[in-house]
Amino acid sequence: MTDIVRPTAPPDGMLILFARRFADHRLALASLVVLLALALLAAAAPAAEWLLGVSANSVNLTIRFAPPSLAHPFGTDELGRDLLVRLLYGGRISLAVGIAAALASAVIGTIIGLLAGYYGGKLDALLMRLTDGVIALPLLPLLIVLAAVDLTKIGLPAELARDPDVSLYRMVVIIALVSWTTVARLVRGATLSVREREFVLAAAACGAGPLRIMAVHILPNVVSPIIVATTLSVGNVILLESVLSFLGLGIQPPIASWGNMLTGAQELIWSAPQLVFWPGALIFATVIAFNFLGDGMQDALDPRAITR
Amino acid sequence: MTAPLLSAEGLFKHFPLRGGLFGRRAGKVHALNGIDFAIWPGRTLALVGESGCGKTTAARAVAGLIRPDAGRLLFRGKDVATASGNDRKSARRAMQMVFQDPYGSLNPRLNVNAIVAEPLVIHGIGDGAARRDRVAEVLAQVGIDPRDGERYPHEFSGGQRQRIAIARALAPEPELIIADEPLSALDVSIQSQVLNLLKDIQAARGLAFLFITHDLAVVDYFADEVAVMYLGHIVERAPRAALFAAPRHPYTRTLLAAAPRPGGGKRRPGAVPAGEVPSPIDPPAGCPFHPRCPRAVSACRETMPILSGGDHAFACHNPEPVP
Amino acid sequence: MIRYILQRLGESAAVIALMSFVIYALIGLMPGDPIDLMINSDPRLTPADAARLRAVYGLDRPLVDRYLSWAAAAIGGDFGNSRLHVRPVLDVMPGFLLNTVKLMGLSFILSVAIAIPAGVIAARRQNSRLDHVINLLCFAGISVPVFWLALMLIILFSVMMPILPASGIASVGGGGGIMDAARHLVLPVATLTIFSVGSYTRFVRAAMIEVLRQDYIRTARAKGAGPSRIVWVHALRNAMIPVVTVIALSFGTLFSGALITETMFAYPGMGKLIYDSIMGNDYNMALVTLLFATAVTLAANLLADLAYAWLDPRISYAAGEGARP
Repeated sequence: MTDIVRPTAPPDGMLILFARRFADHRLALASLVVLLALALLAAAAPAAEWLLGVSANSVNLTIRFAPPSLAHPFGTDELGRDLLVRLLYGGRISLAVGIAAALASAVIGTIIGLLAGYYGGKLDALLMRLTDGVIALPLLPLLIVLAAVDLTKIGLPAELARDPDVSLYRMVVIIALVSWTTVARLVRGATLSVREREFVLAAAACGAGPLRIMAVHILPNVVSPIIVATTLSVGNVILLESVLSFLGLGIQPPIASWGNMLTGAQELIWSAPQLVFWPGALIFATVIAFNFLGDGMQDALDPRAITR
Repeated sequence: MTAPLLSAEGLFKHFPLRGGLFGRRAGKVHALNGIDFAIWPGRTLALVGESGCGKTTAARAVAGLIRPDAGRLLFRGKDVATASGNDRKSARRAMQMVFQDPYGSLNPRLNVNAIVAEPLVIHGIGDGAARRDRVAEVLAQVGIDPRDGERYPHEFSGGQRQRIAIARALAPEPELIIADEPLSALDVSIQSQVLNLLKDIQAARGLAFLFITHDLAVVDYFADEVAVMYLGHIVERAPRAALFAAPRHPYTRTLLAAAPRPGGGKRRPGAVPAGEVPSPIDPPAGCPFHPRCPRAVSACRETMPILSGGDHAFACHNPEPVP
Repeated sequence: MIRYILQRLGESAAVIALMSFVIYALIGLMPGDPIDLMINSDPRLTPADAARLRAVYGLDRPLVDRYLSWAAAAIGGDFGNSRLHVRPVLDVMPGFLLNTVKLMGLSFILSVAIAIPAGVIAARRQNSRLDHVINLLCFAGISVPVFWLALMLIILFSVMMPILPASGIASVGGGGGIMDAARHLVLPVATLTIFSVGSYTRFVRAAMIEVLRQDYIRTARAKGAGPSRIVWVHALRNAMIPVVTVIALSFGTLFSGALITETMFAYPGMGKLIYDSIMGNDYNMALVTLLFATAVTLAANLLADLAYAWLDPRISYAAGEGARP
């Protein structure tokens, strides 16, 4: 028998290479720090409530539009609620809805892209026509209609349909329904190329079935575009959620979201512009940070690719 | 002679070609035009030919990766396509494949243990511990330290990767290994090591090989029987010694003449085939080799000669004389 | 080519037909129905009256039946009356459409006029400080919530420095003339431009970088063409092929931006019309405006594909996959 040979290549892998390239992207790195800080602050919302001795939803009309003070560091809103605490709670909702809907659309897009790319032929044609069709729709008007649908008319009990918590799930579902297309296209493209690689043939020659080939051999090799597209889509989802909530169709009060804190802001621009500034500024900062993060990950995963 | 382990009878495969506006069918590639061959237990059949002759398609048809349009594959006398689920599964398990490119044939996201264990998992062989033992055993057999099983393919050299691919093929204890140009992606210095490994394994376990190659030196060293393919046809089929000593088909002769033989000096006289290989999309009528053949006669332009002649079969209207 | 166009037109028509049904069904799922609205406005109506009215208007029939009779009338040119405007839907739309064309057209011209030079400069001086600044601004434009941007502009230019009107298309009392109309357009156009210019600039930059790498640019350089001429004539012309396509494909996004902008500035355009009709239970109007928006977006996509196929000789119209080896 031949001599035993040990591997010659250094043990560090793609992960370290990725980390090194990502660290070169200073904006992305800064964005990651900002997002982590935001997430921590949002998670600490109950602690802030406790520290300040206020509650996010307690209305106190005697202190409407109070200026910043020790008790209310950011002042109060038109119902006398503490702005800082509401901003922190709003951050929880915006981040949670953004990430949940982005993940849900990533799952839908991955399944559709894998099926289309792996099976090809008629199924591929059908699924891609569907994708093109969804892409070609005017997104926002459609979302407004979907958000306005009366849930009791599709058989939901009235008390459930009006439950503000349900508005959270509704946002995640309808946004995921329209935003899976980018991931689907990317995954299909990547699947088409991975499918022709010899290790997929090798698995088939071993006797692996389609499910195993897709799950074990193709999916792990198309993860990078999924991660990048999902990160980039979190920003978009937060924008969609905020505009729907702003229009009164998204997250329902008393649950605070950055979008619904601006509902009725047109009346406040004269009396309390700071109430208008903060929620939007936080949306802006979060979305831009997710976009930089996704951009940096894209550069790090595929240094040859130029910007989108 | 005993019964063949695997025999192929009249395998046909044409790939549709799409092109032009709206993907109209623009023609088809005649990859396999009805080929027959047999492989006996513990012996090696080499399929030889230039690129595009259909030898890879033949290997993939045997491995079950493509379904032939017509023809039968018999494993131990049973038709693989119509066999019952259990028979088919055990036939698939008994035939494992090694691919040309060891950089492409190993999933970069799986570690070596997972790669080698895959056929065991798929065929439900053994439990976790038994699989681990089996993986370590075959890795040691191919010369990979089992302690490196947690590593990933990119940490290994090309030759080492091909050893891992061979270990994967060996894991489910197959009876036949289909090796599709397993050496041609490797450095010349590594090729002989891997070839020796294959030969050792064959000797130790009595494995049969379907060995696809264009390298006649490898054929001379490794094969028991040789089948020469040209544009989807087997044009000559013979035991190795007979083929090298007295090729009857003019194509085989030009192939042998063009190939440098180990030991050197013994280059046979004979013209290198003139002209290009005709396109498999639109093969010529009659014998597909006639446009390039120095011995072509009028019959060659009209009818395809039939492969005949028992042990040393050839398909030629005007064969080379026996020296 | 003609067959390809016909095929695509057929597909688009099918999508519109399908969408008309989906939208019809969704509108039916919105809160309240026309009879509820009548009951609200006339408390004397009894439940029995309501049931009779439902039968008269056919609201008790199955969804598909109702859709088919709506579609039959629509094909005959009758899209019904608007509840809010109390006029036939098709009479209301043109004025709003014209306003949207003005808004989107102006901001589109402005965006392209900024995006081309900015993108080209960023591509020429890739990774320079200027490139980074342009990139940062692009990301800002892509990431800003449009409704908040509009609010900030209003606070800045109508509240803190009251120099521009915050809403509408003309001053109350009228007679402002063309200057007055122009002043009313400044903030909406600025909002929509900031929204779209970032992504356009990134399209231009990416396409230019791709083109500047190509061989023929090196050839042009070797033939002695000056660097400016190379960039602005040879490269830009080729970079425009993908840019035109992506911009046309992003029409739906621009329209979404216009909807928010119009709503924020009380600007009477198609976007606001859609929003108001959905929120005001104006079913006929919502249905027609949504379908119209879908049709226009589909047409933009179709034009983008055709333009791409036309401009780029490498694209064939083959739909099927290539031969496999």
